[in-house]
Amino acid sequence: MASVEAEGLVKGGCPVDHGAQDHGAVLAGATLKDPAILAHPNAYYAAMRAEAPVHYDEKLGMYLVSRYEDLQKVFADPITFSVEQGFKHIYGGAYFEEFKAIMERDGGGFFPDAIMSDPPYHTRVRKLMESAFTAHRVKELEPRIAKVITDFIEGIADKGRADAVEDFAVPITIHVICEQLGLDHFDAAKVSRWSQAVTAQISAMQDHAAMVENAAHICDLQNYLIARMKEREDNPREDMISDVVHARSPDGDGAALTFAEAVSLVRAILIAGNDTTATALTNLIFILATQPAIAQQLKENVDDERYLNRFVEELLRVEPPVRGLSRMTTRDVELGGTLIPAHSMMLNLYASGNDDPNVFPCPRDFDVNRPNVGRQVAFGGGVHRCIGLALARMEIKITARELVKRLDNLTLDIAIEDITYLPSVATRTMQRLPITFTRRTV
Amino acid sequence: MAALTVTFIETDGTERAIDNVDAGPSLMEVARNSGIAGIMGDCGGACSCATCHVYIDESWLERVGAPDDIEYMMLDMVADVQRDNSRLSCQIRMREELDGLRLTVAPLPGY
Repeated sequence: MASVEAEGLVKGGCPVDHGAQDHGAVLAGATLKDPAILAHPNAYYAAMRAEAPVHYDEKLGMYLVSRYEDLQKVFADPITFSVEQGFKHIYGGAYFEEFKAIMERDGGGFFPDAIMSDPPYHTRVRKLMESAFTAHRVKELEPRIAKVITDFIEGIADKGRADAVEDFAVPITIHVICEQLGLDHFDAAKVSRWSQAVTAQISAMQDHAAMVENAAHICDLQNYLIARMKEREDNPREDMISDVVHARSPDGDGAALTFAEAVSLVRAILIAGNDTTATALTNLIFILATQPAIAQQLKENVDDERYLNRFVEELLRVEPPVRGLSRMTTRDVELGGTLIPAHSMMLNLYASGNDDPNVFPCPRDFDVNRPNVGRQVAFGGGVHRCIGLALARMEIKITARELVKRLDNLTLDIAIEDITYLPSVATRTMQRLPITFTRRTV
Repeated sequence: MAALTVTFIETDGTERAIDNVDAGPSLMEVARNSGIAGIMGDCGGACSCATCHVYIDESWLERVGAPDDIEYMMLDMVADVQRDNSRLSCQIRMREELDGLRLTVAPLPGY
């Protein structure tokens, strides 16, 4: 089995010092589109932070924002750094018009993501969604979510081996979000395919054949969701789809959302609600399997709510599922010493911000005691900060707790260098993670 | 609707007295609507991000009350700037009893 050093994760003291490397050599000719860099990006991030904090990646055609401080400036100015224009530009890759035509022909319509927009429109849409996702509301869901997760763990506990992605992380998160949305009798394998098809649209790595295949999946997804939404138009239920379909504007006069907006939001909740959280659960298992001291510490503190919350936050800091999301500048703007022209594409590297030693000393160390762990930016920041963050944290926390209570001897059944990642600049997602384990007896 | 007053002290020491505040909205919303520096309210009032962190003036602590467990866990995530009088302003609704309240915006740490 490969050592943890291969991942730059060293126990105790300060870890691998990327600062000792020749940053110029790391940056020269390099691109985030390189699968090797996508798989193990931290040296590239460190080189950018040191040499070119806002670095133009020519092959990607995007300015990469790598320092925590500059990311905060982007978060604070959603007008100059437009999510709406950035998202539209990357969406569908080079085949957007053809993709849109397929949606209109076979998928019930093309529904732009209402939440991937700019203020003041964004403010209105976001406000309608916020009450469903508060920490207090999610706390009420804890017993139900815990039941789902413990059932899954019990289901594999005696099998001895599993793929942490396909047998565990993906079905758990799909089950939780489908239940919240009110989707009965869902096909988890289908939802998983739909999720990958939707997230591929912002990967910047999709070729034509993949676009056509993904478009067919998204049509299937939209037709499925539209049918469920129509059912609830006349017969609302106690579920999230009904909440979105029947959302009313604060002044009470009429529907707050168009049907097209509602479709885009239900789709966003379903996809965003499982894909990145599944990655976080896979990362959890990776850390537990490769850092026994962390696994032991978790085991010893499993009933300490404060420890668990900090553990989840540190996991998200060390291994953020979303690597970075795109925006577009709406004017010429100086950032991190670089003048970015108007209408330039940027990729805001949350993963690099979380790895910035100026904010998080010894950033590759997994340290639950960081005094500022809550400043990590895995969820982004500013008005676009992930709306489902409390639900995601809850799912990760329960999984961490119940996993170490029930399983022992968690080990990778794959060499670290053989782990492959989805081709995407937006997320860092392991494609499979075979593991072995035993049922915990003491 | 009662016209209430609340005073925010920004991190650079600037005192901002906000008049004609209604009962009902959270102090985070009051601060955002008045452009108080340092109150971001990223998560929209979901008690999930600690970007509306304030220190309550000692003389008001009893009337404002203590954070519940969920809020306390969020404040613990920014332990480097957490104090005994820390609260998340999204979790405090303005009410008549709090007329005249004074609070200080906590610094955004990290850089």
